[in-house]
Amino acid sequence: MNDILQVIDLTKRFGGLTAVSNVTFSVRELEILSVIGPNGAGKSTLFKLIASFLRASGGEVRFRGERISNLAPHITARKGIVRTFQETNIFKGMTVRENVIIAHHLRSKASLFGFFIGSPVAVRDEREFGRSADRILEFLGLGEIANEIASNLPQGHLRALGIAIGLSTEPTVLLLDEPFAGMNHDETMRAVEMVRSVRDRGVTLLLVEHDMSAVMKISDRIVVLNFGEKIAEGTPAEIQENERVIEAYLGSEDESIGL
Amino acid sequence: MTRTTKIVGTAVFLALVLVGIPAFITVSERWDLYYTLTSVALLSIASGGVWLTFYIGRINIGQGAYALMGGYVSAILVVKYGVSFWLTLPLAGLFCAAASVLIGLPILRLRGVYFAMVTLVLTEVARLLMLALPITNGAKGITNIPLPGAVKIFGLTLIPDFATLSNVRPAFYYLSVILMIVSFAVLYRLVNSRLGKLCRSLQQNEELASSIGVNISYLRIIAYVISSFLGGIGGAIFGAISQSVYPSSFTIVDSINFMLNCFLGGLGYVFGPILGTFVLYFGWDLLFETGRFQLLIFSTVLIGLILALPNGVLSLRFNKALWGSSGRE
Amino acid sequence: MEQVIANGLYLGAQYALIALGLTLIFALMNILNFAHGQLYVLGGFVTYTIYGQLELPFVVALFAAAVTLAVIGAFIERFLFRTVIKRSIREESTMLLAAGLAFFLDAVILLIFGEKQRGVPKLINGIFNWDFRLVMPYDRILIGFLAILSIVTFVLYMQYSKTGRAMRALAQDRVAAQLMGVNVERYSMIGFALGAMLAGVVGGLLVTITGVNSGIGGPISIKAFMMVMIGGAGVISGAIAGGFILGMMESVGLTVLHSYGDITYLVIFASLMVFLSIRPQGLMGKPWG
Repeated sequence: MNDILQVIDLTKRFGGLTAVSNVTFSVRELEILSVIGPNGAGKSTLFKLIASFLRASGGEVRFRGERISNLAPHITARKGIVRTFQETNIFKGMTVRENVIIAHHLRSKASLFGFFIGSPVAVRDEREFGRSADRILEFLGLGEIANEIASNLPQGHLRALGIAIGLSTEPTVLLLDEPFAGMNHDETMRAVEMVRSVRDRGVTLLLVEHDMSAVMKISDRIVVLNFGEKIAEGTPAEIQENERVIEAYLGSEDESIGL
Repeated sequence: MTRTTKIVGTAVFLALVLVGIPAFITVSERWDLYYTLTSVALLSIASGGVWLTFYIGRINIGQGAYALMGGYVSAILVVKYGVSFWLTLPLAGLFCAAASVLIGLPILRLRGVYFAMVTLVLTEVARLLMLALPITNGAKGITNIPLPGAVKIFGLTLIPDFATLSNVRPAFYYLSVILMIVSFAVLYRLVNSRLGKLCRSLQQNEELASSIGVNISYLRIIAYVISSFLGGIGGAIFGAISQSVYPSSFTIVDSINFMLNCFLGGLGYVFGPILGTFVLYFGWDLLFETGRFQLLIFSTVLIGLILALPNGVLSLRFNKALWGSSGRE
Repeated sequence: MEQVIANGLYLGAQYALIALGLTLIFALMNILNFAHGQLYVLGGFVTYTIYGQLELPFVVALFAAAVTLAVIGAFIERFLFRTVIKRSIREESTMLLAAGLAFFLDAVILLIFGEKQRGVPKLINGIFNWDFRLVMPYDRILIGFLAILSIVTFVLYMQYSKTGRAMRALAQDRVAAQLMGVNVERYSMIGFALGAMLAGVVGGLLVTITGVNSGIGGPISIKAFMMVMIGGAGVISGAIAGGFILGMMESVGLTVLHSYGDITYLVIFASLMVFLSIRPQGLMGKPWG
């Protein structure tokens, strides 16, 4: 398996504060890699750096060998690295279906002008987007509520919608920011299955997550951050035994590692 | 609104504006109404531009600058270089479009009140610039601008020379109203196409929009360019009608008025600016009879309207969520 | 050179007071008070009426102006802005209201006081003359001093009084302030009243030097916005800095570019635009976004 994404010595400083410090790891194609760590460890910042929403203070990110750090976010997205967000991962005022359709924008072949005048390419795009959106909604179990306004959705469906939006972009690497947050056990298990099936569609997945049972279940490998530094990397089994990791978690107020 | 309703509504509006009103004016001999309505049409074009900037999430109090620029470009080209007015019209628009790219690039990333304040300053800068530049004739402005000439293709007169017309007002009326219809048709199409959806996505969740590949800066510049283009042609025609352009032709008060027109009509509706301009301009004109109380009554009613309908006049009719109503069937 | 600095300081102090009022209102309620200039004009006219026409002592007149404007400010917040903020989806509605209010106040001022330029007798006669290097009329020095005194009083008040601290908490974080028990509505009203009062006081001070007329409301508002933008919106130190910087720029510009007339303001405005594009939060404002 190749390394599809490489994080090399990545560093981010905010004024006097170093949020991410010389983090290095690689993501293999089609694997599910989770980034965990106590609160404030720098996980979200790391995600933002990878998806180019923040400029790195040092180090770089490579995608298929090509340097992508510090590009504009929409360009990184076009290259195939798409990020979904924790709180505001939807377009509030649009319906579920509209959310998913518009997320297809990344894959449109028509130009903006083409859309304006309704060129044949644009029309074809729109039709195809509609069909693809319906397929994705079905896949994620959102078909029934396709015409609900997104802001009305309950938590579980919101997460699914966030993933649907991510999928619509046909990403190569999808960064999921706390996809299981706020879910109960059953919902989490269902979501874990969903995430697995996303990977089976050919997407490499990078997750930031706090729910340890989900992380242990779903990840191929795990990277652990604390105070902005990488303190461990390995399979779930390896991480559970890792002393530094256990220390880090005991020292903070997060739930302890376990199944 | 169903499709049929929309088509019928459009047809009625067009008939009213293109046939009904001129007929009424001819019969009632209220020739002054031509000037009033022409002004409304032109001002609503400029306001439409401001509306579009609202659509990308910016408060634009700088349209007066582009109206002024457009007026001057057209006037200078006609008076000093003898270019046909009809050619200067798109040229004025393009000049403003080009200027707006240069201005927009640095300022469009500002948000909220910061952007608003910078555009406010822009209007004033434009005025001072027109005062200071030699080519614009300073405070004396550009006067005695000839009326638009004829447009002839292969010896066929498409548009008669305005100077030969017995009554030039209907001609300007038709020019302005047709341009208003075209401009708003463009805006309507924009809003209801994918572009509109992209802009709405930008408004609702900028980060997510970026994440799905929307080039936010590019989209913003495009909207701003179109907006300024509209401002430019509005100003150019105004200059042709009044046959003069001064640095004070468009001031900060005008920029604020364009904004007010949009607000009053309702920011969620494409045609809001037309309604808003109509109400505000007619309202002002009607109050002329009240003499020195004109501004007082006008502003009192305005404040009353804002208190009663803070989301614009059109919010009365449509109760749906503001962002759902433009484009969703 | 000393002359330019002295003029700049004098102008700066006045401007800073105006900017302080505007920035306070902005900090508390996120409202851009388009009508701020008109409040200044009102202050000037009230002072003119009481000091110039009724010939009561200047202190009384100034006090009356302050109280009147405070009441007007409280009224505006309580009945106009509060209503709109409650009922509106978009935050720009307050800007709309402020614009309408500006027109309204302009109309009222015009009707009550007419359009003529009004002035009042000088407070003190005589001119301070230091070797012709620095020439300044005594009344300007007095007014400048009073302005600086007001600024200091205001800053101390905001820093140390209970009301001041409550308002600062409110400006920083509305929700947190509420949780701490700060009565948001009451302090918004007090804040607006205070802001209006400051504008009125400057109007009252300056009517003794440059007089007042109904048309200067708008241009004053613009200047106030500029100062707030330079210094940073919503920050007290920013307003003071912005005020003095504008005062200095004007003083320098008018002296140096005197022969070029309006170019001064063109240069100031254009530089401001460039400056803001690079640093939108002004000198001391919080970086947003």
